[in-house]
Amino acid sequence: MALYQSKMNRRDFLKLMGTFAGASAALASCAPEQIPPPAPTQVPPVVVNPTGVPPEPVLPPVSLGIIALNRMGYGPRPGDIEAFNALGATDEERLRNYVAQQLNPDSIDDSEFETRYAAAGFETLHKSLEELYFDHIANNPYNSNDDAYWEWYSLPAYELVDASFLRAVYSKKQLVEVLADFWHNHFNVYFWQDDGVPLLVSYNRDVLRRHMLGNFRQMLEAVATHPSMLYYLNQNNSSDAGPNENFARELFELHTLGAENYFGVQDPNAIQKDANGIAIGYVDNDVYESARAFTGWRVDDDIYEYEDGVEKTGRFLYYKPWHDRFNKLVLGKYIPPDQPDMQDGRDVLDLLANHPGTARFISRKLARRFISDNPPDSVVQTAASVFMEYRDAPDQLKRVVEAILLSPEFKQTWGAKIKRPIEAAISMMRALNTDFTRLPGGIPWMCSMMGQPMFEKRSPDGYADVKEAWANSMSLLYRWNFAVGISENWLDDEDQQRFIRTDIVGQTPAELRTAESLADFWIPRILNRTMSESDRQAVISVMAQDRGPQEELDQDHINWVLPAMVEVILMSPDFQWK
Amino acid sequence: MPTLKLTRRNFLQGCSSAIAAMAGARLTNVAFAQQDDPTDTLIVVFLRGGWDALNVVPPMDGDDRGFYEKARPDIKISDLLPLSDQFGMHPALAPLHGLYQDGRMAVIHAVGLNYDTRSHFDAQEFIELGTPGSKGTTSGWITRHLQGSGVSSILPALSTSGAPSSLLNFVPTVNLNDPADFSQWDNGLAGSQQAALRQMYNGETLLHRAGLRTLESMSIVSPLVEQEYQPSNGASYNDDELSLQLKTVARMIKLDAGLRVATVDYGGWDTHEYETDGNGGYIADLLGNLASGLSNFYLDLDSGYTDRLSVVVISEFGRRLVQNEDYGTDHGHGSVMFTLGGGVNGGQVYGAWPGLHNDQLYDHADLAITTDYRQVLSELLTRRMGETNISNVFPGFSPTPDLGIFRTI
Repeated sequence: MALYQSKMNRRDFLKLMGTFAGASAALASCAPEQIPPPAPTQVPPVVVNPTGVPPEPVLPPVSLGIIALNRMGYGPRPGDIEAFNALGATDEERLRNYVAQQLNPDSIDDSEFETRYAAAGFETLHKSLEELYFDHIANNPYNSNDDAYWEWYSLPAYELVDASFLRAVYSKKQLVEVLADFWHNHFNVYFWQDDGVPLLVSYNRDVLRRHMLGNFRQMLEAVATHPSMLYYLNQNNSSDAGPNENFARELFELHTLGAENYFGVQDPNAIQKDANGIAIGYVDNDVYESARAFTGWRVDDDIYEYEDGVEKTGRFLYYKPWHDRFNKLVLGKYIPPDQPDMQDGRDVLDLLANHPGTARFISRKLARRFISDNPPDSVVQTAASVFMEYRDAPDQLKRVVEAILLSPEFKQTWGAKIKRPIEAAISMMRALNTDFTRLPGGIPWMCSMMGQPMFEKRSPDGYADVKEAWANSMSLLYRWNFAVGISENWLDDEDQQRFIRTDIVGQTPAELRTAESLADFWIPRILNRTMSESDRQAVISVMAQDRGPQEELDQDHINWVLPAMVEVILMSPDFQWK
Repeated sequence: MPTLKLTRRNFLQGCSSAIAAMAGARLTNVAFAQQDDPTDTLIVVFLRGGWDALNVVPPMDGDDRGFYEKARPDIKISDLLPLSDQFGMHPALAPLHGLYQDGRMAVIHAVGLNYDTRSHFDAQEFIELGTPGSKGTTSGWITRHLQGSGVSSILPALSTSGAPSSLLNFVPTVNLNDPADFSQWDNGLAGSQQAALRQMYNGETLLHRAGLRTLESMSIVSPLVEQEYQPSNGASYNDDELSLQLKTVARMIKLDAGLRVATVDYGGWDTHEYETDGNGGYIADLLGNLASGLSNFYLDLDSGYTDRLSVVVISEFGRRLVQNEDYGTDHGHGSVMFTLGGGVNGGQVYGAWPGLHNDQLYDHADLAITTDYRQVLSELLTRRMGETNISNVFPGFSPTPDLGIFRTI
C-alpha cells in the first residue's frame, strides 16, 4: 500500500466533486415540520449474554429462481423470476439453463442496458490504457493548482463507478457484474492509489473483466503487469538495489495461496514438499525471493526522469537495469541466474497458479461469495479439483464458477449470507424499477455511509464477504435510509443535473385502495414470496396508519404513505437474505 | 410509538429535491437508567498498517542509537523529546509529551504479537481475536471480556470504525461515525416504520439482533443528533479521521450511558516508501494527527472523566530496522504501545529492551518482542476493568507478574 500522497488527498477530491455540497442548504430550505415528540423512551440496559454467538436463520425454503437471482446477481427486477421460470419445466432444469446463459454472456440480449449506456455518454471509458495515461496523467491540460486539473485526473475513475452501478442495476449479464466485483475485491486496488487513478478504468476492463471467465494464470500475469497494481503495491520502485516486498507479499497472501497456506517466519527447508518438490505452503523467505524475482517489473512512466530506455507511455515495462539477475529459491524450486527477460517473475506466477493451495484458496473464496460465509469443504474440494484439472484451459475460471453454481450446496443454503451494502442498495433499485442514466453522487455516497464505498477499500484485502462485517448499526441504518432515499426520490443531484426516479404509486394497480391489498401486492412484487404473517401485519399497519386494514384509503393517503410501506419491505430482514 | 397523524401531506411536494441526510429528525426522547459504573471506560486506538515503532520512539543514546542511525541513514529521526535516558519520542508527538511528563501516559516498548507473521491481516486478526495463531474463535477479546463481566449497560461498546474483530459477535455494540449522521431519514412516517421494524427484527440471528440494536442505538444517540458539540476545557478537534472519531467517543462518554469500551481505527501506517522528510513528511503528519487527537481528547475529558479513562494505542507490528531503497520500511515485528489515563503509572517506558545489535534482532531484521501485547491488556483489564478471568479473555495466555503500568482502581 503506497500511502504517501504528495499530490492529492481524498477529502479535496470529494470537495471538488461537490457531490453533496448543496445538500444541507437544499434541505434546510424545505425541512419537514417538526414532528411532535413522542413520549420519552426508556432505553433498558443491555444485560450481556454470556454465550453470544447468534444462531443461523431458519427460513422457509424458496424457489431456485430466488436463490439464483440474488446470489448470481444483484436481486431480481420485475419480470426476472418469470423469465427464470420460463427456462425449463423443473427448478433444476431452469437453474442449469440460467447458469449456462449467464456463463455465456455474449449470448444475452442486453439492449436495454446498452441503450442506457449509450445515453449516459461517458467520455473516458472507451480509452485505452495508453490514452488514459496520455490524456489524464502525462498531458493533463489544466494547471495542477486548479480544481479542473483534478477533476480531469479523476474523471475516468468516477465514470467507472457510475458505469459499474449502471451495469449492476440494468445489465442482464448479472453474473458478469457479480464476478467483476468479486475479482476487484480479490485483486484489490484502492481507488485513490497514488499516481495512477485514471488507469483504474483499464485495470477493471483489460485485466479483471477480460480474464474473469478465462484462465487464472493469465489473469495473474495481467494483474502483475498492470500499472494500477504496480503503483498500488509499490512494485513500481522495486529494484535489485532494494526490492520492495509489498507486492510479492500480497501476491502470496491475498492473490494466490492465501494466509491459510502461510507458515510464517520459518526456515524454508523445514516446509514439507509435495511429490514434485514444491513446498506445500510458503514462508517469509519465499516472499523475499519472489520480491527479487519481480525486480524491474515497473511502469514506463519516467518518474526518475531521463533514464535510458524509459519513456512516458504508462505501459508495463520490464526494466532490465533494475532486475536482480542472480538465482532464487521459491517454494523449494530453484530459479537459475540470468534467465531471459521476465522469466523469473513468470516462474513464480507459474508456481503459484498451479499450486493446489491456490486452487483451494480461490475456490473457497468463490464459494464464500456464492454459497455461504463458511462454505462446506465438499464444494470447495469439488471446485478446487476443477481448478487444477483445467489449469491450462482458456475457460478454467468459468468451469470453476459453474461447478460452484451447480453444486448441491448452492441450492441448500438460502439465508446463509446477507447482502453486502452495495448489493443491498443495487437490489433495491432493481426491485423498484428505479430509473436513472447518469448516477447521482448520492448513491455512492450512501454506500460509503454503509461502510462500502465502491473501489475504496484502502488495504489490499478487499471488502469482507461475511455478515459480521456488515450487520452493525451504522451500516444497517444507512441501508434503511437508502430504502427511504430511493423510494421518496430524495437522491437527485441537482448540481450535476443527475436525476433518479422511482415511481411507486405509478407501478401500483389503481384499483388497490386498502392497506391490506397494497401490502399483498408489494410484498410478493419485491420479495417474490410471502412474508410471515406477523411481518405482513407490520407492513399493513404502516400502510393503514390510523385507518383500518380494509378501509378504503384516499389518494392523498396513498401518495404519502405507500412509499413508506414499500420502504419497510426493503428494510425488512427478508429483503437482506441471500 | 404513537401513530403519527397525516399532518404533512405537502412535505413531498415541497421537498422532492431535498436530500434528507441531514434532516436529523429526532424520533424519540431518551431517558437513561442510572448507570452504576465501577470500572474505566477503555478506548482502544488501533493504528492499521504496522506503525514504525523505531521512528515513533527511537533510541536516543548509546550503541543502539548508532545501530539505528546506520540502518536508517535517510529516515532517522532527530531532536527527540526525551522519555528516559534511553528513548525519546518523535518530535511530532509533542502534544503528548506533557501528558507523559505529568504521569498520565506510559510507553511500552518492544511489545507486540509474539507470533511469527509479517502479514498485516493475520497480525491484526490475531491481536483482535486475542488468540495468536488461531482464527477459529467466534469472539474477540473485548467480546469475551464484556460477556464475562456480566455488564449491565445501555451502551457497553462503541465502534467508530466499522466492525473490528476485537468486538466480533458482540451485538450490543453501537457502531457510528458521527452522531449528526445517526438518524433515520423521515418523510413523517419513520415512527410507524420503526414500530414495524421492531416487530420484524424481533429474532435471534445476527441480522435480527443487529437490527434491534440499530433501533435502540437511534434512541441512545438521539440527544446528540442536533446538538452543536462544545468540547470542554477549550479542547479543539481537528477534522482528520482520527480526531473526528475521538470526538464522537468523547460525546458518547459524556452521555453517561455506561460506555465500557470504544474502538477507534486510524489507518495509513504501512510506510513502504517515502516515510519521512527529515523530521517532517508523511509519518510526522500521521503522528501529529495522533498526538493532536489524543491530547485534545484527553483535555476534553479532563472534565470529570479521566479518572475512569484508559486509552490504549496499538498497531499490528513494528517495521524493519533497516530502511528500504524507497525511503521506507518493510513489515517488521516488535512494536511500541501507548497507554493514557488517570489510572496509568505514566512517565515511564516499560518493557525489557532487547537491543538493536544484529544478534539481538528478531530474524536478524526486526525489533524483538520482550512483552506480549496481552500482558499490557491483561494488566489493564485486571486493574482497571474488574476482569477476574484473564484465561477466558486470552485463552492459553499466562500473564507474567505485572509490569505496574496501571494502578488498581
